Amino acid sequence: MGNKALRSFLIPIATLIGFIAVWQISCIVFEMDPWILPDPRTIALRMAEDSALLWKHFLSTLKLALMGVGLGLAVGIIVAIVLHSVSFLRTALSPLLVLSQNVPIIALGPLLMIWFDFGLMPKLILLIIVCFFPIALSMLIGLGQAEPQLREYLGMIGATRWERMKRLEFPASLPYLFSGLKITATYAVSSAVVAEWLGASKGIGYYLVLKFKGYDTSAVFGAIVCIVTLSLLLYGAAALLERLVIRWRPRTSDDWAGESS
Amino acid sequence: MKEYGRKMLELTGISKSYRRGKLRVPVLQEITLNVREGEFVTLIGPSGSGKSTLFRLIGGVERPDEGQIAVDGKVVTGKRGLISYMPQQAALFPWLSVADNISSALATSGTSKKEAKEQALEWLHRIYLGGVAKEYPHVLSGGMQQRVSFLRALLMRRDVMCLDEPFAALDALTRADMQRWLLELWESDRRSVLFVTHSIEEALMLSDRIYVLSPAPATILQEITVPFERPRRADVWMEPAFAELKREVLNLLEKGDISRV
Ligand SMILES: Nc1ncnc2c1ncn2[C@@H]1O[C@H](COP(=O)(O)OP(=O)(O)O)[C@@H](O)[C@H]1O
Ligand SMILES: [Mg+2]
Repeated sequence: MGNKALRSFLIPIATLIGFIAVWQISCIVFEMDPWILPDPRTIALRMAEDSALLWKHFLSTLKLALMGVGLGLAVGIIVAIVLHSVSFLRTALSPLLVLSQNVPIIALGPLLMIWFDFGLMPKLILLIIVCFFPIALSMLIGLGQAEPQLREYLGMIGATRWERMKRLEFPASLPYLFSGLKITATYAVSSAVVAEWLGASKGIGYYLVLKFKGYDTSAVFGAIVCIVTLSLLLYGAAALLERLVIRWRPRTSDDWAGESS
Repeated sequence: MKEYGRKMLELTGISKSYRRGKLRVPVLQEITLNVREGEFVTLIGPSGSGKSTLFRLIGGVERPDEGQIAVDGKVVTGKRGLISYMPQQAALFPWLSVADNISSALATSGTSKKEAKEQALEWLHRIYLGGVAKEYPHVLSGGMQQRVSFLRALLMRRDVMCLDEPFAALDALTRADMQRWLLELWESDRRSVLFVTHSIEEALMLSDRIYVLSPAPATILQEITVPFERPRRADVWMEPAFAELKREVLNLLEKGDISRV
């Protein structure tokens, strides 16, 4: 790790610590009512107190979000490839695709529960609907972005459509696919929490409803800490996967944090 | 002079025009030419005269308006997958290693996967690029990329090799180097080659026969047989006949230009 990489790691950490410190100090100086805005220390203590329970709910939400991202990824890739290959379907289905994102999940959730009962099924469907879209959309763009010279080359040597997809369009779309996956990873956790909020007996979303109804503000903040952590975890996993898969590019500073090696 | 065998590639009366708005712009007019077995034939003409268009017709990516194309005696107008091709830009797939770039092209032309891999490695070693076989193409210099691209075209099991200005993007020194390298490699394994360039020296250095094209709409101005013996000496450009031929081609190209003004 070079000096630059170290800095791009340390500076955000320092910012975070600074933010928490300002928060803590303000709470003390302005004598904040902990029911309205608890200070970080109180939140930490509350989390420690509930740690066993929180951990269980944390894992449950993580599992739900991961399943959602996994299935969303599969559906997203299939949708992108099918729409790319069959232009009729692309024209016919794109309004439907956008529509699927226009219905708020707060409205969709209860409907899905009416149709599929309260088990895992409606939550997974909800998550798939949220998760597949960024992946399908960015990959669809990526499939069309393959370099014209390579396209021409494959045409000249008489490659089949399948070979063109396998050797050119799919690999060329991978960087786009991962941009979509990173967006999905960011949304998946909050969507999982909303799904749990609507009806579940475990998960951070469930914990959140419980504590909210009991006016346990510091526990609500504890839940938020868990959600943020989960989101960062998923984003980090997506970014790591991207690095492992896309190794052919000379490293560029395309990450939002501007990393370089 | 060597006697050449049957015609591997034969174009008869090829015409092609493009639509530009309401206008029909003729690009090729009544092109008739052939490449015999083991012969190195060069097309020379000003840029924009339609040389790449002719290649697209031979590759079957587009159809001619008139005329027919035969490969190894069979009429195959509009059919793909009969030639191997080397474009001006190396057109290597950035996500495949150098060796895989070659072997996957061989797989397209019907070589088994295992054999393709072995062949690619063996030949990369033979041209002293064995050390970079597992690297991604972006680590190679422009000249090295072109060598890989040429090898890829050479190894494909196809009757005719089409090379479209393969050295035009290289600097003068690399270019001279590449010409000698290609000549040596080709003379050790005589394939039927149709080569496009707009450098007169390059054409005279490499070919057995030259077709001189007029500016668009291209017609064949003249067919020239190059008399120098094979294997061709590196200093053949010092011969008086070389300078004479060069002047002749230059005159033809200039006359073609003037007749259009
Ligand atoms: N798809 C196309 N549509 C319209 N015009 C084209 C197309 N492809 C090539 N042309 C025209 O045909 C002419 C010849 O192009 P090209 O074959 O690339 O020339 P060269 O390879 O000899 O430089 C150019 O004037 C170009 O504008
Ligand atoms: Mg050209």
